Amino acid sequence: MKLAPASIPYRVFQKAGRVAISLVFLGSIGTEFAIGRELVIAGVGVIILLTAGYELAYYRRFRYEFTKDTFDVKSGVLNRREREIPYGRIQNVDISRNVIQRLLGLSAVNLETAGGGSTEAAIKYVTAEAATGIQSELRERKSTRGDREPAEGADTDEATKKQTAAEDELLFEIAPSELALAGVLSFDPRVPGLLFAIFTGSIPFVSPVIPQTDSPAVLLGVGVVFLIALVVLSWLVGAASAIVNYWGFRLTRSPTELRYERGLLKQYSGTIPFDKIQTVTISDNPLKRQTGYATLAVETAGYAPGQANERGSEAAVPIASRDRIKRLAEEIDGCETVSFNRPPKRIRRRYFARYLIGLAVLTGVLYGIGQLLAAETFSWYLPLAGLVLAPIAAHYKWLHRGYALGEDHLITRNGVWRRETKRVAYHRIQTVIDERTIFQRRWSVATVVADTAGSLSLLGNDAAAVDIDASDAIYLRRVLRTRLQAALAERRQQRNSVPAAASTPTPDSETLADDNEAAIGDETE
Amino acid sequence: MNALHPRIRIVWILRSLIGAALLGAAATGIAIFLSEPLTIPAVLTGLFVILGVIHAILRYRNWQYVVGDDALYLERGVLTQVHTEVPLVRIQHVDSRRSAFERLVGLASTVVYTAGSRGADVTIPGLTPEAARDLRERLKGLAIEADGEDAV
Repeated sequence: MKLAPASIPYRVFQKAGRVAISLVFLGSIGTEFAIGRELVIAGVGVIILLTAGYELAYYRRFRYEFTKDTFDVKSGVLNRREREIPYGRIQNVDISRNVIQRLLGLSAVNLETAGGGSTEAAIKYVTAEAATGIQSELRERKSTRGDREPAEGADTDEATKKQTAAEDELLFEIAPSELALAGVLSFDPRVPGLLFAIFTGSIPFVSPVIPQTDSPAVLLGVGVVFLIALVVLSWLVGAASAIVNYWGFRLTRSPTELRYERGLLKQYSGTIPFDKIQTVTISDNPLKRQTGYATLAVETAGYAPGQANERGSEAAVPIASRDRIKRLAEEIDGCETVSFNRPPKRIRRRYFARYLIGLAVLTGVLYGIGQLLAAETFSWYLPLAGLVLAPIAAHYKWLHRGYALGEDHLITRNGVWRRETKRVAYHRIQTVIDERTIFQRRWSVATVVADTAGSLSLLGNDAAAVDIDASDAIYLRRVLRTRLQAALAERRQQRNSVPAAASTPTPDSETLADDNEAAIGDETE
Repeated sequence: MNALHPRIRIVWILRSLIGAALLGAAATGIAIFLSEPLTIPAVLTGLFVILGVIHAILRYRNWQYVVGDDALYLERGVLTQVHTEVPLVRIQHVDSRRSAFERLVGLASTVVYTAGSRGADVTIPGLTPEAARDLRERLKGLAIEADGEDAV
């Protein structure tokens, strides 16, 4: 099957837009060197023609196809590439459409596998119907692989789509109040960074506006106003982007997959197979805890390191009441009722000491600055007020930490400001790492990390039981090891008991030993 | 638990010597630029050499590995001690490799890859080339025998 014809003008427009920017720059240089305006315009024309030719060739070369076992993509004008992706290896299938693409009726489809460093197959662009067609066709193929002949044509796609849409069970739909709340509780930390970059660049222009005074009070006032403005602005931007991102958020489930839809301007929808879920994370902050709300994120191994950052939260339920989040997590990943084991109480003293050191360093630095500026009224001792808060903070840090061994999952909890509760199924554990820093050894505690293939884990977000007693760490390691083996043995048995030709295989039975050797080898780069 | 080959200390000491030499050169450059006496860079370099040697010796002492029934166990680390368990079913592929220094002293490393994110590659240094090859073959055999399902 081919791309949508409308993708040619869109791709030309996209590329030419990029070229135009550099030409404007060139043109401005050109006038200095007295290169005629005609020449520049001719250049633009030639480039547009070349781009159009290239994109036409790209369109003609691009083919995607559903075969018996694989999804094949043939592409490339100068460098040609043919790819076969086994259905069982596909992790996420994402569709995105920005405003212009929506006007043209186009969609981009991204297929993720666990291997490689980027999106495995990016189909840019097909019509909206074809995009959902690909999505549902892949779902069909995954669950009934090899059982039927490849179907072609829009009619079949349409039929499958309707059929599968009817099967979907609605798990979550964002209510306007929740959307508003998601906005209110969002704070975009990128804004201060960006503003900082802009302002440091423009200080020479701004400095005449700032009142020229040596009075520290005025400077402090300006600083405070600036800070407040910054917070308000970050919050406004965060709120706006949260609302635009999560507009119309819907999470549905079919027997084998989760499916989400969201977005006001740029629309996203995607599927996450249940048997590819690595971890389920519930996160909240003090505000959400007080008001009884939480956030849910589902993680697969599909996204590459760089992508995890920008798209990691795609399958996240931005905000919902805690009970609802808990029910959702159970629906997605099985029921677990556990109580957390906290680190030993003595560890609070360690945290307290750590905060004291932090405060001492901060005070020292401020004192140094005060001495350098020779400002008499500089209150470098202000951070020392934190001495009162340090024991409380240490207590809360301890309070929110913990781990639990559920029936099928290891559950860990960490963080006060951003508390994350992570659930990792035992059969998803890749390696178990027990780390003891020199300071941890002094307190005879250890950190046990259950590493998974999840893509968010690359940011150091693995499920970790932090600062647990050294003897507990040894015990936990042993339990994780035996439960992993037991879970794998159980799944192996289940797989073998289901006949290979059964019409309704379990989600796991498709990833059998047949492609075991071809398992994602280059995944770890 | 198996210890590494003692000659690995030479590799680690050589590496730290290079680090110390680079640092010493930089410090000397700064000292000359500031027209300070050269005692400070000399002391600094000496200190780094001593630290590097001690670190290499401790690192060798703390390094242990064993191939168990269902997992590969590693213990290592001087300041932060790390115990890693790699279940054999999770092994994706196994490399053996030899860096220039390792070839100099006739050693090799075996690298075990998993699909995980943090502990994705685990290196066992300080093996004789034959031992590295044997370990690679053994792990490969055990991993196939363990018959893992789809890894992710």
